[in-house]
This record gives sequence, C-alpha cells and structure tokens, in this order.
Amino acid sequence: MSSGSKGKVLLVDDSFMNRALMCDILGDEYEVIEAENGVEAMSVLARMHSDLTLMLLDIVMPEMDGFEVLAAMNKSGWIEEVPVIIISSEDSYTYVDHAYDLGATEYIQRPFDEKMVKHRVENTVMLHAKQRSLEKMVIDQMLEKEKSNIMMVNILSHIVEFRNGESGMHVLHIRVLTEVLLERLAKMTDKYDLTPERISLIANASALHDIGKIAIPEEVLNKPGRFTPEERLIMQAHSAAGAEMLENLPYYGDEELVKVAHDICRWHHERYDGKGYPDGLAGEEIPISAQVVALADVYDALTSERVYKPAYTHEEAMRMIQGGECGTFSPLLLACLREADSYLEKELKVKSNGGLAHEEMTNLPRSLLKVGGASGKKLQMLEQEREKRIILSRMSKDIQFEYEYAFELLTFNENGARILGLPETVSRPRTSENMRKTVNFDDLHELIDRLQAVGQQDPPVEMTVRANLPEGERKFNVIAQSLWTDDERTGVIGIATPIE
Amino acid sequence: MTIRECYEQMGADYEDVKRRLASDERIEKFFLMFTRDPSYNELVSAMEAGDAATAFRMAHTLKGVAGNLSLSELGKASSELCESMRAGSIPPEAAELYARVKECYERAMAAAEALKQGRQ
Repeated sequence: MSSGSKGKVLLVDDSFMNRALMCDILGDEYEVIEAENGVEAMSVLARMHSDLTLMLLDIVMPEMDGFEVLAAMNKSGWIEEVPVIIISSEDSYTYVDHAYDLGATEYIQRPFDEKMVKHRVENTVMLHAKQRSLEKMVIDQMLEKEKSNIMMVNILSHIVEFRNGESGMHVLHIRVLTEVLLERLAKMTDKYDLTPERISLIANASALHDIGKIAIPEEVLNKPGRFTPEERLIMQAHSAAGAEMLENLPYYGDEELVKVAHDICRWHHERYDGKGYPDGLAGEEIPISAQVVALADVYDALTSERVYKPAYTHEEAMRMIQGGECGTFSPLLLACLREADSYLEKELKVKSNGGLAHEEMTNLPRSLLKVGGASGKKLQMLEQEREKRIILSRMSKDIQFEYEYAFELLTFNENGARILGLPETVSRPRTSENMRKTVNFDDLHELIDRLQAVGQQDPPVEMTVRANLPEGERKFNVIAQSLWTDDERTGVIGIATPIE
Repeated sequence: MTIRECYEQMGADYEDVKRRLASDERIEKFFLMFTRDPSYNELVSAMEAGDAATAFRMAHTLKGVAGNLSLSELGKASSELCESMRAGSIPPEAAELYARVKECYERAMAAAEALKQGRQ
C-alpha cells in the first residue's frame, strides 16, 4: 500500500447489486476494484496482487467460483499476501468450513450489517498490515545476521587461501558447487535427510574445508615443484589438522555447524573406494557432507588455473571426473554431477560474479522464505521486474502473450488484445469459444503440442499461426518459449508478428 | 409514500433493513435498483429452459440480494427454491416453490412501482 492513497480492495461478485451495495459501504475508505467472476478476479490478482489490501469474495459465481479462486491463490501463494473475506448468502457449515480450510480470513454471511462489514474489513486489513510489517522486520534482521555470518566465514577462509597463494574464489566456488550438488541429491534420494536448512548449513561449513592448511609450513605449502614423499605427508596432514582445530574449540563444540565443518575438514580427501586419507574410510562411511565437498573440490581444482596446470574446461573436467581419473565418488553423486552439468557452470559464473550480494539474496533463511513467502526485498525486486515488462509490452507493436499452466490463463498485452479483438485475459484457451473464433484451432493445437514436447534446453518453438481478424484471415509468425521452475513446465511466453 | 410505508405494504421487514443499512436514502436507492436487477429474469429464463445449474445460481443470487434488502418473504422463497435444486436438477416440487418466488417478486415490484409513482 502506498502511503497517502486509499487501500485497494478487490470485490468479486457476479451480482451488480451486491457490488453496488458494497461499494456504497466501503467506497469512502477504500478504492474498490470490481470483478464479475473468478476469471476476472484472477486477472486482477495476476496484475496487482502485491498492491491489494484485501479481497472480498463471493462463492457462487459463473466461470470460476470462489472456491476455485481460493484454490488457485493457494497454488500461487497469493493467499499469503492478500487477506480474503468471503461474503456469501450460503449458510451451510460445509461451505464455511471449506472456505476457512482454503485460507479465507473471515466469512461474512448475507444479509449483513453495514457496521459489521466495516468493522471486519477494517480489522482484517489492520491485522494483516501488522503481521506483514513484523514479518518484514524479522526477515530483514535474519538476512542481516546471516550475511554477517557468511562474511565472517568467507573472510576467515580467504585468509587461509591467501597464505596458500590461491585466489579467494575457491571458497566461494566450493560453496556454490556444494549447494547445487546437494540440491540435486535431495531430489534424487531422501536417504540423507537433506532439508533446505541442512543444505544451507553444509554449504556454509564447506568454506572451512581447508582451514587445516594454516598448520602447514609455508615452504611446503607453496613449493612450486613436485612434493617429496615426506612433504606429501605433511601436506596431507591438513585435513586431520583442520578437524583437530575444530575439536579443540573451547566453545561451540555442540553446534551443528562446527560438527559438519569437522567432518568436512577431516574427510574431504577420503575416496569412495577407501584409498583416501587420513582414515581410509570407504563408501557411505564417509559423511555425505564430506563426499560432496570432495567432489566440488576436485571439480574446482580442475577448472581453475594452478601454478602446475592450466584450467580445464567444464567439459574436460566432467569427462575426467566421470572417467575416474581424479578419485572415486559415489555413483549417485556422479549422477548428480551429470544432471547438474551445464547448469553447474552457469550457476558458478552467476553466483561468483555477484559474490556475496547475490549469495545473500539466494541462499538465505530458506526456512523463512518458504514459510513466509518471499522476503520483502525479493518481492520488491520481482515487482520491479514485472513493471518493467509491462511497460515494455505496452510500447511494443507486437502481439505478446503469456500462458500459465496452473490457472490455464492466457494473457495478451494491450496491443495484442486489440489486434485480435480478444479480451486481455482468456481462461482455458484450449476450449475457449473466443479463441476458436479468432485463432485457427488446428494451428493453436499444434503450437500447444509442440510446446509440450520440447525440453528445458530446447530452443523456442517457431511456427505460422492463422487468425481470423475483422479484416480477414491473417498469418502470424509465432515464437514461443516454455518457462520452467525446477523441472516443471509452468508457463509459456511468446510473441506473434504479422507476416506481410 | 415513505420507504418505510413501502416496506410495510409488501410485508417486508423495515426494522431489520434499517438496522443493517442505516439510512433511508440507501435503502430506497438499493430497493429501486433492485427493480433493474437481472437475476430474477435470468432465473425465469433458466427455469423455462430447464437449466438447473443457472437456475440454482440465480435463485442463490436472488436470495442474497433479497436478504440484504430484508425482503424476507422473497428471500425465504428463493432460498427454498435454491435448495431444492442444489443437487443439480429441477425436481417436481420446484414448480410450487418457483410460483411462490414469482408471487413475492411481483409483490415487491408492485410496491416499488407505487414508491416511484409517489416520487413523481
């Protein structure tokens, strides 16, 4: 809500009388935006959910009823952002219960009192605003704290590396690689109990993996040529030394971070076949945290330049690791690495360039972000991106469109809707009568089928689509790209230009 | 004719609507707006076409609108009609309930007409 202006209330009801009465009651205090059914409501929500103070929702409506709207809001997470008051003349308990189950804040029964409506609306708005500002305060504080933590750990590890004559990037790389690998691993199996919190913790602890090197004499540590067998032994002592330092900490011994860091320090040079050091652990005897960091360490060593070797490319490194040239790893982990493949390289570049600032955005109190929706900062950024896109699409002369699988909602830019003579939002376009009249249905279905068939890495789909416009049949060149969240197809974005 | 007299004429609950909507102007404004509300006419066409889903929805809307204006008889009649069709079909007894809705609605329209006449 911007300061000074009235709060915006979305009023969804199919009866104009009902809407008129509610506007009459609330119009002085709020800016009321009206929607005649669920589909219209969804389109308003898609446009301005973060701007809405409250939503008043009828249940029995044509097109898409109130329950369907609530369900869709749950799916998209908007239910956490916009408090909903149901207004219905329905008095059966099953309806009321169902509405509450789906996340409605209040249920007002018709016929209602003016006073009661005003009070409930006001209370709901106030309570929600308070809760939001508290949430934001907590998240901001957590972010700030977490950022200092990560900074301290990174600075400390950087000092260790500095002595080693390496760039500080290694620590950051290990953190990113560890995180990416663990995320893949968590999807593949649940035998390691890798919660998002646990993954964050291991990634954070990974920065400490080489602290034992501080105990290695400098002339050995930075010796340019080959090690003698004695020197090799001294070098190898760094893993046990690091673990020992952590064991001897006079404090924090019981902290999970210290325990995980200990395991990583001690065992990140073990091998899956039991031929590593210092303890010769084999297979799953090696804690998963250490297994993952070991793999990340090898990958980063291969792809970075060292005094004694050039930097290998991602492809070369992948081939060498998978071929068993650089140690042995659990088959499951190697599968994770294959799965992550080019994503790994990309992620490494993006996150390392952004350094801490980026880390802070992505990595942080996941548990909070998950429970409380995205953080305020992140939301603001998203909102800004959205605005930019809307402005660009207004300026564009092309037909731009967006489709969301979850709600089966097709949205055109203003200009596109005007050219096609379609509303800006079309629900269930596959079966929509409006679409059938305007867009050649064979072409539309071909486009849909082709989009369903492409994978995440494939180029956009391009084809000619015929449309019946007021001035006659026109052909459009359509370029459309599937949008993905993780491995799930979530939407389509595209552009259609008339063929002269 | 005052809005109160109008309510008394059609046997609707003036005290109740006054308590809930607070001002006479508002009650009158929305009662007159009700004469232009399409839900009754849409209910009639749906009943005639045997379209149970739409008839249910329209009876439901009518119940809500009548309720908010304390047109108690019409509200009760449309609620009963609405409930009879909840299962998705129009049962035989709906005919009688529908007739009752019609009677209440016409009474309300007559009262509204009288109120309008008095205003001119």
